[in-house]
Amino acid sequence: MAPLLEVRDLAVTYRSGGESVRAVRGVSFTLEPGETVGMAGESGCGKTTVALSLLRLLPASAELGGEILFKGENIVTLGWQRLRAVRWAEASVVFQGAMSALNPVRTIGEQICEPILLHEKVGQRVAETRAAELLDSVGVPSRRKASYPHELSGGQRQRVMIAMALACQPDLIIADEPTTALDVIVQAQVLELLTGLVRERQISMIVISHDLSVLGETCDRLAIMYAGRIAEIGPSRQVLGAARHPYTRILARAFPRMGDPESRMAPAGLAGEPPDLRAEITGCPFAPRCPEVIKACRSHDIDLWPAGEHRQSACIKVLDDFRAFPDSAQAALDSTEQAHAHERAGLQLEESAAGFSRADDPVLEADGLRVVFPARRGRGPARAVDDVNLTIGRGEIVALIGESGCGKSTLARALVGLIEPSDGEVRYTGSRLRYGAGALREHRRHVQLVLQDPAGALNPKQNVYDAVAEGPRLHGIRAGLTERVHDALAKAGLRPPELYVSRYPHELSGGQQQRVVIAGALALEPSVIVADEPVSSLDASVRGEILKLILNLRDQLSLGALIVSHDLGVAWNIADRVAVMYLGRIVESGPVADVLLRPRHPYTQALLSVLPDASREQPGHPLGGEPPDPTKIPTGCRFHPRCPRRAALPPGDERDELCRTVPVPVLPALREDSADTSLVACHLADLDVPALAEHSGTAG
Amino acid sequence: MTTIDQTAPGSAAAATPPRFQALRKFAREFARTPTAMAGLAILIAITVLALTAPLFIHASDLNVVNAPGQPIAPPSARFPLGTDYAGRSIVPLLIWGTRPSLAIGVISTALTMVLGSAIGLLAGHYGGITSRLLMALTDWFIALPTLPLAIGLAAVLGQGDASITIAIAVTSWPGTARLIRAQTLAVEARPFIERAKALGARDGQLMVRQVLPNVAPFILVSATLTVAGSILSAATLQFLGLGNPTDVSWGSMINQAFFQGAVSAGAWWYILPPGIAILVVVLGFTLVGRAVENILNPRMAR
Amino acid sequence: MSSTSAPLSAGSLSALEAPSTDGASGARDFAHYLVRKVAAAIVSFALLLVLGFIIFSLMPSNPVEALTRGHPTSAKQIAFLTKQLGLNQPVWERFGHFVLNTLQGHLGYSWQFEEPVATLVIQRLWPTLLLMGSSTIVSILLGMWLGIRSGWRPGKLLDRTSTGTAIAFWSVPTYWLGILLLVLFSTGFGPIPPLFPAGGMSTPGAVGGLAPSHILDVARHLVLPCLTLVLVVFAQYQMIMRSSMIDELGNPYLLTARAKGLRDAEVRQKHAVPNALLPSVTLIFLQVGTMISGAITVETVYSWPGLGYLTFQALNIPDLPLLEGTFIIFSASVIVFNLLADLAYRYLDPRVRRS
Repeated sequence: MAPLLEVRDLAVTYRSGGESVRAVRGVSFTLEPGETVGMAGESGCGKTTVALSLLRLLPASAELGGEILFKGENIVTLGWQRLRAVRWAEASVVFQGAMSALNPVRTIGEQICEPILLHEKVGQRVAETRAAELLDSVGVPSRRKASYPHELSGGQRQRVMIAMALACQPDLIIADEPTTALDVIVQAQVLELLTGLVRERQISMIVISHDLSVLGETCDRLAIMYAGRIAEIGPSRQVLGAARHPYTRILARAFPRMGDPESRMAPAGLAGEPPDLRAEITGCPFAPRCPEVIKACRSHDIDLWPAGEHRQSACIKVLDDFRAFPDSAQAALDSTEQAHAHERAGLQLEESAAGFSRADDPVLEADGLRVVFPARRGRGPARAVDDVNLTIGRGEIVALIGESGCGKSTLARALVGLIEPSDGEVRYTGSRLRYGAGALREHRRHVQLVLQDPAGALNPKQNVYDAVAEGPRLHGIRAGLTERVHDALAKAGLRPPELYVSRYPHELSGGQQQRVVIAGALALEPSVIVADEPVSSLDASVRGEILKLILNLRDQLSLGALIVSHDLGVAWNIADRVAVMYLGRIVESGPVADVLLRPRHPYTQALLSVLPDASREQPGHPLGGEPPDPTKIPTGCRFHPRCPRRAALPPGDERDELCRTVPVPVLPALREDSADTSLVACHLADLDVPALAEHSGTAG
Repeated sequence: MTTIDQTAPGSAAAATPPRFQALRKFAREFARTPTAMAGLAILIAITVLALTAPLFIHASDLNVVNAPGQPIAPPSARFPLGTDYAGRSIVPLLIWGTRPSLAIGVISTALTMVLGSAIGLLAGHYGGITSRLLMALTDWFIALPTLPLAIGLAAVLGQGDASITIAIAVTSWPGTARLIRAQTLAVEARPFIERAKALGARDGQLMVRQVLPNVAPFILVSATLTVAGSILSAATLQFLGLGNPTDVSWGSMINQAFFQGAVSAGAWWYILPPGIAILVVVLGFTLVGRAVENILNPRMAR
Repeated sequence: MSSTSAPLSAGSLSALEAPSTDGASGARDFAHYLVRKVAAAIVSFALLLVLGFIIFSLMPSNPVEALTRGHPTSAKQIAFLTKQLGLNQPVWERFGHFVLNTLQGHLGYSWQFEEPVATLVIQRLWPTLLLMGSSTIVSILLGMWLGIRSGWRPGKLLDRTSTGTAIAFWSVPTYWLGILLLVLFSTGFGPIPPLFPAGGMSTPGAVGGLAPSHILDVARHLVLPCLTLVLVVFAQYQMIMRSSMIDELGNPYLLTARAKGLRDAEVRQKHAVPNALLPSVTLIFLQVGTMISGAITVETVYSWPGLGYLTFQALNIPDLPLLEGTFIIFSASVIVFNLLADLAYRYLDPRVRRS
């Protein structure tokens, strides 16, 4: 059977104001009918450009070269009339719906009907019926068709995008970051829906994502892109399991698997930057950063070479005759050396980590903390943090994991003193934090904050020196300021400091910006850093660098950290202990190895089960329902409406009543005894769910 | 944007103070915009004329009595732009008109900016009941039609440049206040403000060190565009007869031209020059203002 | 090109499901909104009265002297006038009288015309409405059409020329433009013959009322003043609309529309324009004040017998009661207009409507 889509040597150049950026330089691949192919890569690699060029949706300043054969027709040279007819009717797109890819002033029903009315000769009534059916098929009740996008949640909007994409029964769906910016559980729901529908209707799909684990789960084949070219392409399990390109290996390690000892306390990162796409690149674009580089890499023409059955790789080493290149033997030695060095480094970290995991020297504590946001028009008061006990010991790294609306960011800000709690106290080394101006300033010397968006966190009018010196200056520290700043920058990994001090934030990359923010915090010599999603806005390969930095700081300075994140992988990578938060309460906490490998709370289990894991045979079924609303906290156990454990109870069981009416006791910060197991806030904590399911005969 | 190559050898960066760095960059961008340079040229020319006018224009040129020429005479060798209703040559009148225009424009703008920016910054920074009331008052003020208010004020304060200046300032400051407040709110919503608070900044320090430098560009742009508007408003009030009756200004020239029958006489040499002068000066400020706005706040072809 | 971003932070409750509101509560919300806005308008009007009083009754140093300037007056006459103008009453009493009078429609007595201000205002109201109404409609249509086209393709020829023209017209004094047009088309200049009348609203002595000849006559007189106002004001509307369009250009939903196979013009009209229209509508409504300022000077130049010309005439002496009256009428109408604008916006924007 002929392939549905054949891309040959696609090249895209953006021209603006005299500059040309070669965003895509020679991409070729094929797509069979019914197949799903994923395209992975970091920002700037060209994957979105490739996706948009498939329907010629690029801006006018983009030049397209090469061939895109869709069902035999070359999209690149297609006339406008025919192109418009192909668009949506034969190939449609799912964009990131969360970010206003839907027209805010038209109802979702209208927007779904629009392509139907445009491409098919049917009347309004028929189109509306079809739209209603589509909404039902994606799990959005069809009575919502008169709603506007802003009235729907992020997950629902994404479902609407999917329904819209299916409207004209296309042969191909291009999904560009379909689940980014969604909560992990919602993400899993949407992915399950999308892959199910596509399989059922035998539609081919191209999925673009920066999240390798998502792609591994959903795609038959996977292409990894770097600097505008494909680095490797092949069956997804093989590409992720046994990579044949160094970049793939590193990228895969940035998405750690739970229980993988290699990634425990060993975040994987990649130093340096992707190459400047305005310039000509000779040889392999990845060579400057490649840990396995040999001399030939920089001079030899790079192409996608066969690297196994149905596999290709753009790494010179897959050529059987690579040993013929000079100094390749030395290179082999070098690469094994490097591998050993990494191992040793990893082991060292493991050892030093053991020495510091003592939580009985508490540095920062939350005791019975409550933060209630007052009622606003239309909503009641929001109990964002509802009785939380948490401890961070000296030199300890604690991860606080939860989805949006759980209160983790509020808790973080309360610990730093930016929000005054409604009840309970924050303690630093045992003494209670007071909220007078002087006490708060004192607190700032000890507890510092690192935010999610490093570009926004830096004042664009201040250069690096001023940004780092800001803290000390505010506290009246004048003497030795330059030294202090340079010292902080060096500790944060920006060496030599002199090279950076006069730069402005917009001249730095995301990773460098975050290092400056961290240096700014370090300049005050705190004992604890509270980091709110410190790596979420950064590229996957850069994340590892920043996480490594935090680990190093812990080793060298005994710097403790509270890392707030939605990403369990971060916890696995660098945390000693982890606390899982739901609707303002901690539902489970304890050592990372325990909580993440032997989770006992159904919510933790749900979070872990939806982590896309390419090695599992069957994807898990995600939790139902929407992320919770802190203005409407359920009675009894606040998780009970979505709890699969309670749902598995035999009908009439009295414990069901317990879950619905009796609140679960608040967890203390630490176990009273020094056992190493986790604390769980669940009435049915030690129930064996599968056994229950068998007894009651209900589906588990 | 270029990024730093981390493998570059440790060459120490030049010790240029950051403020000069930014200023030089700004100047370079400005010089690259032709409309901006044209505007700047206009402004420099007008300022020079205004300041040096007393050196080459004598009282006799401006005196209504004993005027040298025939009233409303067309251009000739002696009177390149003809004469006005009293027989004075129009050229020196035109040049002299730069003075009240610039004076009123600049002074009223200074008043407007100081008052408007202060109120806008404070109202934007401090939430609270007082500032909300203040903004409500400001919003109400903005809604009032400016010319009737300015006319009323100027009429009551008496004829003269001072009245005009005050009237313009009173009608302009609310617009500035609202603009600056909006910008202040926008800046304060950005994460680096939270970071500064976390580092230990107090209110005053936040405003001066973090907020003000980021709002300053808007203040600058607003000031430039406000001068343009003030010059127009001043001319209008002068045209309506509210200016200093003994002084020569472009607005009063148009007034005299109109009410002394230049229309029916077809005296284009009397009507065109003052209007063109206003147009040129206002254009100068507007072009510079828009160019500055584009540089400080680059957005797609604004 | 795609960004990696985490889910929305805990602080933004909008990430959570918003319950859909049904029609009944929607109507109730609107009633609340209406009441709030009308109350605000009433407060604005009250403040307006205070301001008017301050400016026109408290600030003038000596109205009697102003009134009798140039006329020899005896002390007795001065005393009489002082009493008549209520100048020796305490401030609160005067303010009270002022408010009561104004609310009843007694806006004072013109010193110049020796008629009640209210009468004069009513006489001159229709011409101003006609002039302002016609020029507003034309300016809005022209300005928005140009703004949409130039904002859709910024930097291209249409955009640059129309923006340049707009800036030029904005920088020009309205009255001066009016005078130029008079010279060009009324007096006639060079090859151009006199086409339009030199002023006034209709030819003196002609038949009035609704006779077609009268309507035509008024229309002829309307052309130049309307054109003057339009030329100066359309630029504002154009820039506003252009800005709004440019703001929409970066939005992903436009890409979605293109991907659906819509033509460029369809994407613009069906998707970009409805979104760009909303903020433009409010801003355009707020430009009414500018229109009024323009009307004053244009009416003066064309001797158009409206409220603007009345204001100019009030500058003789100066005729404070008349000035005060026109000031209050102008400002009050802006308040009413803004109220209508708020209600219209609320009705048009679904995001505001259902919150």
